[in-house]
Amino acid sequence: MTSPVLRIAAAAIVLAGCSSHPPPSGTAPLTLAPDAVRLAAQATFGPTVAMVREIERGGAEGWIDAQLALPPSDLGTYPVVADSVATVCPPGAPATCYRDNFTPFLTQAAFFRNAIAGPDQLRQRVAFALSQILVISGDEVRANYGLAEYQKLLLRDAFGTYRQLIEDVTLSPAMGRYLNMVNNDKPNPVKGTSPNENYARELLQLFSIGLVQLRPDGSVVTDGTGAPIPTYDQDVVEGQAHVFTGWTYPLQPGAPQRTHNPAYYLGQMVAVGANHDPAAKVVLGGTQIPAGQTPQADLAQALDAVAAHPNVGPFVGKQLIQHLVTANPSPAYVARISAVFADDGHRVRGNLGAVVRAILLDPEARGDTRNDPSYGRVKDPVLLLTGLARALGVETDGVYFANAAGALEQPPYASPSVFNFYPPDYALASGLLSPASALLDSGSVFTRANVVRKLLYAPPGPDATVSGATGTQIDFGDLAPYGGDAGALVDSANALLLHGTLSAAARGKIADAVNAQGSTDPANRVRAAAYLVLTSPSYQVER
Amino acid sequence: MRISRRELLSGLSLIGLSAGVFGGRRGALAATGDYRALVCVFLFGGNDGNNMVVPVDARYADYAAARRQPADGGLALPLDQLLPLAPASGAAAYGLHPDMPELQQLWDAGALGVLFNVGTLVAPTTKADDAAGRVPRPQSLMSHQDQQNQWQTSMPDRPVRSGWGGRIADGLPAASLPPLVSVAGNVLFAAGERSQPLAVPPAGGPAFGLSGFDASVGSRAIRAAMDAVRGLDLDNALVQSVAGETVAAFAASGALAPVLAGTGSSTDALFGPQPSAFGKQLLQVARIIEARSVLGASRQIFFVSLGGFDTHNDQLNRQSKLLADLSPSLSAFHAATVQLGVDSQVTTFTLSDFARTLQPASGGGSDHAWGNHQLVLGGAVRGRQTYGAFPTLALGGPDDFSTEGRWIPTTSTDQYAATLARWFGVTPGDLASVLPNVGRFGTDDLGFLG
Repeated sequence: MTSPVLRIAAAAIVLAGCSSHPPPSGTAPLTLAPDAVRLAAQATFGPTVAMVREIERGGAEGWIDAQLALPPSDLGTYPVVADSVATVCPPGAPATCYRDNFTPFLTQAAFFRNAIAGPDQLRQRVAFALSQILVISGDEVRANYGLAEYQKLLLRDAFGTYRQLIEDVTLSPAMGRYLNMVNNDKPNPVKGTSPNENYARELLQLFSIGLVQLRPDGSVVTDGTGAPIPTYDQDVVEGQAHVFTGWTYPLQPGAPQRTHNPAYYLGQMVAVGANHDPAAKVVLGGTQIPAGQTPQADLAQALDAVAAHPNVGPFVGKQLIQHLVTANPSPAYVARISAVFADDGHRVRGNLGAVVRAILLDPEARGDTRNDPSYGRVKDPVLLLTGLARALGVETDGVYFANAAGALEQPPYASPSVFNFYPPDYALASGLLSPASALLDSGSVFTRANVVRKLLYAPPGPDATVSGATGTQIDFGDLAPYGGDAGALVDSANALLLHGTLSAAARGKIADAVNAQGSTDPANRVRAAAYLVLTSPSYQVER
Repeated sequence: MRISRRELLSGLSLIGLSAGVFGGRRGALAATGDYRALVCVFLFGGNDGNNMVVPVDARYADYAAARRQPADGGLALPLDQLLPLAPASGAAAYGLHPDMPELQQLWDAGALGVLFNVGTLVAPTTKADDAAGRVPRPQSLMSHQDQQNQWQTSMPDRPVRSGWGGRIADGLPAASLPPLVSVAGNVLFAAGERSQPLAVPPAGGPAFGLSGFDASVGSRAIRAAMDAVRGLDLDNALVQSVAGETVAAFAASGALAPVLAGTGSSTDALFGPQPSAFGKQLLQVARIIEARSVLGASRQIFFVSLGGFDTHNDQLNRQSKLLADLSPSLSAFHAATVQLGVDSQVTTFTLSDFARTLQPASGGGSDHAWGNHQLVLGGAVRGRQTYGAFPTLALGGPDDFSTEGRWIPTTSTDQYAATLARWFGVTPGDLASVLPNVGRFGTDDLGFLG
């Protein structure tokens, strides 16, 4: 340990070498209410001292209610372009034409700017979770403005009703494009084609009820032989595929209406009655859809059946718990959330704001359950990046973060398939669910560490190919004043990044490494402490 | 055959998957002393096998009738564009997709075999069995996630947390490097009951080691603290799992990092100046195989993947691009094994979620189905032959359990995996611990490996 005298000497050097930071005030470390830090880790893109203070002041409930009331941050406005690379970016067009119009790059950079600095942290965090449940991907929906429009929808609907969300998602032209509901036509006996089953199937399997019947506590209902009971069969998929016929892209202003409008992603898909299958259909739960209805009436009836299905609460609710709080919630926790999903207290079913509030205020989110050995969730790579940025005073245009997220296999809005970056049932050998562990393998261990290193030691400057780029700067935020005192530095990092869970042994190892950095460059000492905490196995887990 | 789910489950419980059963196999594979590798190529999304291998004899008419013409939104490939798969003697009965000329050459060279209508099966199943519910279907048939998992576990009647690749690895003797290496991240195929796979980046990918460290006092102190910290504060199971991955990564990094960076690789050029992302995975496998002696590896199992096969629309273009990546990349990889002198010791094989409906869907695509055709490649393959029964290409026909052309598999994933496992060195007596259901099916050697 450094002696008090040496600490004071080191502090004097800090004063001399780093005038922009206030001197260590007797090197008292940051003291933060651990549960406020935990709530910030669960409900935001990472704790900052300012946000933790807000939670300390308002209490968890008051702070959540304030967050629920905030409007969405702006994800940006991007030029409407034709859905043709060859037309928009002909040979000779600048190299950035493709990147800026046909990849999610600019929207991803905006995502990170908002996640790191936007006030509506809870809304963004929930929308990010929804973007991993109701997935579309820039791998397929190439037009960036269309992809962004969909993500704005999720931000807007994050605290609305599930029924509204599922309708807006169903009629989103980007989703229509992604899962082929757009221009899905009624059966054509002459051509020998049948309606496309893609959206019909994934709406049920991924976006609403899942494959097997669930009790409100999330447990699987089985038959007499122990086999799970399916929620639907192929006939239901085909019935819904027929329901979802007869929709095309919205009409671009000034363009002539056609039965198959050209790709255009602003507004909702529009119905073309002539392409809609008029026959009677049977959909979820044996719901009979009579012959001769409009595409809109068919769709409303089918979505009502989906939204009313008893699986939605446990299926969607458990995933939201997994994204925000813990990968292995107890059945009782899931059941409490399912109850709120079923009725928010004002007879509203599927009130997502109330569900999110209940998830975060639940005794299992706030209480001592955190000490259970199976508690918590492995951090998404995105949350590693934003957690670092928010805690350590990063200012960024988001460009490096967009690229780094790709290297960490979680580029927002660009998962490899509709199955997200990882499946919700990904399990460790022990049987514990740990969805994000699918992204934490022996290779990504190094990539995580190396990205952390880059941000701490050499944050990249502006990318000249990006209009208005400002690059990334780091000033170590609320840890900056502690460079002179290894003990106070590690204690402060522990409070802010690990809500005080670091053991004395680990604290000592990190402090030793900090002191080995010499005393001439306090920033380098902060880097060493931050690197060791941020690359520790403990920091990869929120709990 | 009449098998209830209860009987099947009780049979399973006899086999069990405890470490004890697997523990008995340790060392069983070590005796042969030579090198062998399996390379699993997973085609995520459900490759449309119906357009990968097409009959070019009289049955082409059935195919064209059901698949319909592209001008009408159909999927039929023109007969004159299919690449004939001529057997050693006689006329070709099948043709390969037009974008796979490299694999046609490997067929002609005797290194490529085709397996017909393989799929996840709980037990042998006829159309009558299926219609009467006499044999349970695999759980969540036609769901991507579940079928991907079941191809990797070969246990479609219950969820398990290990894959058959990992279970083969469980029986291998301890080595300095984990025998199972994924170049496509954490996957179920690679997870053992006891063994832990390694996941490495593709060629040209991120470094497999820490950057920014040097020999300075400060740098060494950070590294020492890092090594110490990952052994501390392990009171949480998720933290432990992260620490476990970290320990494995650091243990492998020293020997493997230079190999993965291409140091000493002689096969890079075979993959062309700009390999595809998929080609870079296979190139990485070739590099590791080339360094097998240095790495002390005698048995290795690799996992690579190519995604995007969920062609619900615009299938002709999309599958074309994917197969035009698959074919030259596999060919380059095979050439690498030839150059390294191990082509008869490396067997590459495809898996995929499921086949796709023979009947087209609105938008020029196809939907989820069941049994599918697969490719096996390597010097040990009895190539230039097809294996298994080709389905009758008729909507609602004898192989279709629906009316859209979804084939009930006539060969199980167990039989497919068993043939590969036996070639790799798993003894007949140990096979059931790798593939607990294999005894339900006729043969555990389909004969495609010599």
